[in-house]
Amino acid sequence: MTKENLIEIRKLNVLRSGNRVIESANLEVERGDYVGVVGPNGGGKTTLVLSLLGQIPIESGLIRLFGKDISDFNDWHRIAFVSQDAINFDVHFPMTVRELVGLGRVNRNNLGRRLRESDWEKVDEVLEFMRISDLSERRIGQLSGGQKQRMFVAKALVRDPELLLLDEPLSGVDAQTTETFYKVLSNLNLREGTTIMVVSHDLAAVFCRMNRVICVNRLVHTAKITPDLDSNDLLKKVYGEHFHFAFHRHSCQGEFKGV
Amino acid sequence: MSEILFIDDILRLLGYKFFQYALLGGALVAISCAVVGLLIVLRKESMIGDSVAHMAFGGIAIGILMGVEPILTALVFSIVAILVISFMRSRNLANSDAGMAVMLAAGFSLGLIVVSMAEGFTVDLFSYLFGSILTIDSTELLIIAVLAIVSVGVMAILYKELISMTFDENAARLNGIPVATLATAFNILVAVTIVISIKVVGVILVAALLVLPGLTSLQLDLSFKRTLMVSVVFALVMTITGILISAVLDVATSGVIVFTGVGIFLAVTSYSRLR
Repeated sequence: MTKENLIEIRKLNVLRSGNRVIESANLEVERGDYVGVVGPNGGGKTTLVLSLLGQIPIESGLIRLFGKDISDFNDWHRIAFVSQDAINFDVHFPMTVRELVGLGRVNRNNLGRRLRESDWEKVDEVLEFMRISDLSERRIGQLSGGQKQRMFVAKALVRDPELLLLDEPLSGVDAQTTETFYKVLSNLNLREGTTIMVVSHDLAAVFCRMNRVICVNRLVHTAKITPDLDSNDLLKKVYGEHFHFAFHRHSCQGEFKGV
Repeated sequence: MSEILFIDDILRLLGYKFFQYALLGGALVAISCAVVGLLIVLRKESMIGDSVAHMAFGGIAIGILMGVEPILTALVFSIVAILVISFMRSRNLANSDAGMAVMLAAGFSLGLIVVSMAEGFTVDLFSYLFGSILTIDSTELLIIAVLAIVSVGVMAILYKELISMTFDENAARLNGIPVATLATAFNILVAVTIVISIKVVGVILVAALLVLPGLTSLQLDLSFKRTLMVSVVFALVMTITGILISAVLDVATSGVIVFTGVGIFLAVTSYSRLR
């Protein structure tokens, strides 16, 4: 039985400042997928994500979200997005972690109403899941980079999204925090069944933990991550012939979950 | 001895209707300014008070000239001014501070032209330039009360949406919050708050009454809810203290209000740095 496509893109072309940044892209993301989007800087990864969110106009092609053409799609509450700029907020903004995560519960259905007790219960549950409950009363400006990232993912998760999009969530974060962060995402994908699409430079994390990879450098190549996949060959298509990805499945230490 | 005389003077003044009106009007304006002002500071648009108030000055001059209640003409001019600033920014015609500078100049120059055309109301205009809360009459109090209650009421209803928008407009939009409509509603509230503040501190010092309470409370590194509450307390303290001292000592009310606010700001900032 084929799974439902949450994202489907056909022959997508996107122009930015007169340059074609995405060309003839075809891809699909199925419900329950954990997808890594990789590629060199300036290759179009963020453009691809922003066009999926309807944030930038497309030149031509088709984008379908949850089976609906993007121009008819109104169920944005089913999607949560954490932008790569999220952590660059005003550190003097007077807000606690719990208050900020609570803002994730604000949507068009509760405009003008106070958040309910059940909303705050959800907030506390997600803070626990992201292992930042101990920071809930901390001011957001006092957090470290990794803590800020987990806070923004928590803000996205309190919306109970079916599809979570993360754009380079871990730039400038140390290796241990990165490892913990990807573990949390794996848990979310496996336990809650949340479909996750994450733009990342961490190729090892993508090939160890995720089940699908989208390689972007103007042209888009996708593949299911299986034990037979020649990752180096795939990555050369976007990073160039001289690229060599020294990846060995055993280095995943039992975390390889290819299908 | 002098303390007793001061308290005696205040108790005596409290028996007068004009003084009761002044305190009530001042308190309502203070609460409104504290709530709206905190968001203005966080949106990094602190000078909007100065700009829109000068546009209101043009409206006041025209109101006096035409024999219409000046607060109402000021309100119309202020709302137009703030919407034009916002339009210029959204269409990339001018960034925020340039748009504010243009509106400030346009409003004040219009006021000057009207003043030079008609003679005899210079005294009235002076009271709007520098504030005159001690001369507030029952009509003005009623208008200020209604506008302040509407302003604080709308803020209370849209509290979480306004914080969302102020923190991250794009994220708020993706969450389904109608950001453009909300921003227009907020801008109108700002214009309303500025106009009612003119009676208390005058065109020249409106920006201070809007910005000082929020800026002072931000020094304390509190949660949003507490920052807002503390901001209201600071606004009330500076306004009430200003009115009391100025009435007893017979000095300019707006000057004492703002000077008290600056004093509180310096004291709180020093405290937060030293602790």
